[in-house]
Amino acid sequence: MAEGGAVQETAAEPGGAQRGLQSRRRLVPYYLLGPAGAWLLVFLLLPMLLLAYTSLQSGGILSGGFHFTWEFSNYVDGVRQYQKFFIRSVEYSLIVTFVALLLAYPMTYWIAFYGGRWKSSLLLLILIPFFVSFVIRTIQWKFILGDNGFILGPLKSLGILPDSYHVLATPLAVVAGITYNFIPFTALPLYVALERIDKRLVEAAKDLYSSRWEAFRHVVWPLSLPGVFAAFLLTFVPATGDYVNAAVLGGPGTTMIGNIIQDKFLTQNDYPEAAALSVVLMLGMLVLASLYARILGTEDSTLAAAAGGAA
Amino acid sequence: MNEETDRALRDGALMDAIMRARLTRRGLLKGAGKGAAALGLGAFLAACAKGTSEAAFDPKQIFGGQPGDKINFANWPLYIDYTKDKEGNRYIPSLRDFTKQTGIEVNFQEAIQSNPEFFGKLQPQLQAGQDTGWDIIVITNGRYFTALVENEWVYPLDPSKHPNFDQNAAKWAKDPTYDPNNKHSMAWQSGFTGIGVNNDLVKGPVTKMDDLANPDKVGKGLVGMLKEDMPDWVMVNLGIDPKTSGPTEWKEAAAWMLKQRDSGVIRQYYDQGYIDDLTAGNLSATMAWSGDVLYYKTWAGYDNLVWNFPEDGALHWVDNMLVPAEAANPAGAIQLMDYYYQPEVATAVTEWVLYLSPVPATKQLILRDAKKAEEQNYKGYANKLLATGDNPYMYPDDTLLGRTSYGRELKTDAEREEWDAIFLPISQG
Repeated sequence: MAEGGAVQETAAEPGGAQRGLQSRRRLVPYYLLGPAGAWLLVFLLLPMLLLAYTSLQSGGILSGGFHFTWEFSNYVDGVRQYQKFFIRSVEYSLIVTFVALLLAYPMTYWIAFYGGRWKSSLLLLILIPFFVSFVIRTIQWKFILGDNGFILGPLKSLGILPDSYHVLATPLAVVAGITYNFIPFTALPLYVALERIDKRLVEAAKDLYSSRWEAFRHVVWPLSLPGVFAAFLLTFVPATGDYVNAAVLGGPGTTMIGNIIQDKFLTQNDYPEAAALSVVLMLGMLVLASLYARILGTEDSTLAAAAGGAA
Repeated sequence: MNEETDRALRDGALMDAIMRARLTRRGLLKGAGKGAAALGLGAFLAACAKGTSEAAFDPKQIFGGQPGDKINFANWPLYIDYTKDKEGNRYIPSLRDFTKQTGIEVNFQEAIQSNPEFFGKLQPQLQAGQDTGWDIIVITNGRYFTALVENEWVYPLDPSKHPNFDQNAAKWAKDPTYDPNNKHSMAWQSGFTGIGVNNDLVKGPVTKMDDLANPDKVGKGLVGMLKEDMPDWVMVNLGIDPKTSGPTEWKEAAAWMLKQRDSGVIRQYYDQGYIDDLTAGNLSATMAWSGDVLYYKTWAGYDNLVWNFPEDGALHWVDNMLVPAEAANPAGAIQLMDYYYQPEVATAVTEWVLYLSPVPATKQLILRDAKKAEEQNYKGYANKLLATGDNPYMYPDDTLLGRTSYGRELKTDAEREEWDAIFLPISQG
């Protein structure tokens, strides 16, 4: 139909064939966007709209169900009541992200620069735990970190730890569990960025009398920053919403916002409030991510690092 | 924009708008709005509409007539007698026998993991007056049970259709306070909430609720509490009758719970997974359901575990069979429900599930099975059956029952919100 219309238009005007080709070309991007656009529409945009719609409902499940009433108080009440949990979740996931970066960076650096023939196998080793369900792996940690399990048990009988010491049901267990679960998310973007760095640049730096440390600081680190940026986001954002670790490994005082939302949906059947909290979490993550991008935008940071190095 | 574009947009579909005309931001938003409206809101509005007819149900009409060929039975996990046949496939003997006797097939699903979750799944359909797909559901007495009854989302039973129940049901199962005259439900199994104790880890007898807040008896960071049962249980042990309690009493119970939390004894607040931690030695004492601890102690050999009936009272809860509105086969459903009140069938279930049976006659049958097993030289099995049959918490007498209480029924959303506002922050921390 579109082409028919275009052809009709062009037939009536001088230089029409040229115009026809141009307008068809203009439509090609939309055709190419079509499938992905439809997918995003159905699986991203619509659910977001439904979530926002639910968040503005009011009512109760025991009586009459829920009705759309522009109930913005869901947001106000939600943030006021649960701000402690938002803050705690952000705290936990900041710790998780930094620890994960600290652990993953040296590991991926080594694989990228010294891995040689075994790069893919080593990467596979990082990814293999991923093949087992997230929840099952977290539950396994309950056994590993058990009060008298095979780590704490021997330590306790040797007298290194007091008998009443326990890791489970403490923030340490929750943060450790989340870090463990998200290390592949941190490692992969870092690996991709480090892999792409031309090793000859390091050689060139060494030729110009820089030590190994200076070569890292002035060449490798700035070039890997896009990867660090991506790894940070890929770890921080999902870790904030995590609820499995706090539920399985945590105790009182470690409840995260994900647990609150889960409780609201499944235990309290308070769908509007749960939806409101979810929207607040999403918007919060969006704002933090955009701020982060602003402050540590990738091109600027490499230029800044280079300028700093030269000066 | 040209005429063609306007027509396309008026027709509504987003894809149309893209394919036919040049895409502008305004056009995109218009089309998206219509698309979202068409696909999303329709479903919501349908769910929210009050579609149930409020006419009174006539039990004789509903449960009369011939039962259909199939019954869909939703129940909790591990709550019926399972066994393995010769090839090692799992099956349910009591249901197989029912099908043999009546020719009705039963589709048994462990679809219920928690009352609020299952209620949340059924609510939209019940509200819209649609068939939920289930003929029998099993719901614990409490706010969801009350909501189903008050909203007329379950059928009132025909009293002439459950002779076995009338003959064999225990006194506590007949005419309970949460369902007078068993108008809507028949008990499936029941239990008590008390204190589960690991004798290796406690430093003295733990028989009262206050012991669970005393670090000298239970140590620090070794006590578990059950989130859903907590408020009612604490009220019972403080001498308050939950059924008549109001916000003042709730705040009293909350104050005790905060005191307990501040004393540092709490390990975790559980939904239901406390038993793993208790058996693993991570807990010294916890709020516990009688059947769970009974199983591990009597049948799995955990001699260090014991279930104590709290001195000041325990919570009594009952899981009840109900027939949801618009069920496809109510006549078959009530037949199956009554079938489980035959003593032999009830014994088969209780010997496996190890919770309170609503049929007291099962006690003698369990003891008879114990004797039979002993004669056949299955000494271990016989002892276990004996311990089960003799257990006072499986077959409580009236004095014991007098020391228990049902929980508070929260009838309106307003009450529910107030309750949650007082109690949830304690476990959420």
